[in-house]
Amino acid sequence: MPDVNETINGLLGELRRGTIVIGVLSQLTEPQYGYSLVPVLEEKGVAVDPGTLYPLLRRLEKQELLESKWDTNEARPRKYYVLSPFGKEVYEGLCREWRKLIVSMEALTAEAKGGD
Amino acid sequence: MEIIDRYIYAVTQRLPESQRADIKRELRGLIEDMLEERAPAGQASRQDAESVLTELGHPNELAAKYRGHNDRYLIGPAVFDSYLTTLKIVLVSIAIGLSVLFAIQVIVTPDGVLERFTDYLVSLFSAGAQGFVWVTVIFALIEFRKRKNAAGTADSPVDWKPADLPEIPDEQSRIKLSDPIASIIFTVLFTVVCVYSIELLGIWRLHEGERTVISFLNADAFRAYLPVIWALAALGILKESIRIIVRNRTGKLLAFHIAVSIASSVAACVVLADSAIWNPDFVRDMEAAGLLNPGWDNYDSLVSIWTRASGWLVGMVVLFGAIDIVSEAYKWYRVRRSA
Repeated sequence: MPDVNETINGLLGELRRGTIVIGVLSQLTEPQYGYSLVPVLEEKGVAVDPGTLYPLLRRLEKQELLESKWDTNEARPRKYYVLSPFGKEVYEGLCREWRKLIVSMEALTAEAKGGD
Repeated sequence: MEIIDRYIYAVTQRLPESQRADIKRELRGLIEDMLEERAPAGQASRQDAESVLTELGHPNELAAKYRGHNDRYLIGPAVFDSYLTTLKIVLVSIAIGLSVLFAIQVIVTPDGVLERFTDYLVSLFSAGAQGFVWVTVIFALIEFRKRKNAAGTADSPVDWKPADLPEIPDEQSRIKLSDPIASIIFTVLFTVVCVYSIELLGIWRLHEGERTVISFLNADAFRAYLPVIWALAALGILKESIRIIVRNRTGKLLAFHIAVSIASSVAACVVLADSAIWNPDFVRDMEAAGLLNPGWDNYDSLVSIWTRASGWLVGMVVLFGAIDIVSEAYKWYRVRRSA
């Protein structure tokens, strides 16, 4: 029989993958570079490794949700990302959908519990 | 640190060229940030670097994340630029080759230019389509093999160690791009001549305003060998495409080069040694044109040149094949020794 914890971790990974986008967008009202986002997200319980975050930031930029700018004033050149006006709109829409999703899931899981 | 350069190189090599510079810069910044977390600036050890790279994961996987989900390419970003280069060379050589042949044909027989011009346009289109298909099929095969290899290593990303990263090729071991380009042009021109105008290979004669060509070869018999010519062209372009992609003198590439050279030389010798491909009426045509006369003292020796020509050509093919193999092997050896 498959291990319960292992299975939960696998499924949780899938669930998290989709929510990371909302997490990242939520933190980018102010410009941030990739690695500065890692501890911010981790502190709030959303652990994401840089190998996932960096490509994700580029993808969101390509989808025009984010804008980027190289800051070469510091010793180490860094690419800063910030929400674009379009990204802001998308983020707000996503949040609305997310809340609806929480309510629906809440109702579904409560129902299952009640039926026992 | 050198191992970091190797890692960044391994990742960016698998990405489209247009994104490489930006990702390279960003990735270097990230790795430096991660290193700084492990040790004060400038004091990171190799172990620190290796642990950062291990955390970032196998370069293939990181590159795959940068490329996004859709990884099912016919010709992926890692080889797409080489594909365009090769395609351009092949198409341009076909156009040049056919145009030159068209010009020659018009000079030889100035009648029916319009008809020849239509023929020229049709062959331009059909040969162009052929070239396009061959190059695309070759690169699709290369892509397919690459993916199979990548899947093999990605199955065990846990076992991956930064020390496994391949060296960044240095300038000296790099193959000059002009080298494969020249080979492709030669291959294409050779194929174009064989396929479209083999009868033009011969002795040209201008007599009383009329141009005639006494062909060396029997075009009908030679046509039976065209599939061999096509196969050799495809093999040759495959080899040069791999050289354009790898751009580096490696032992494996040398082995492949030698295998292709031997196969092409053997095939060429087999074709040349077949007496049926030679024009059986060559001596008679020469006599008819007055270029050869049985009354001449050296008639027998002149005729024997013709009858022995195929043997000499076979010898020349073998000689050139051997020179090519030795010079490639030497270039590879020099790179190895200096490494």
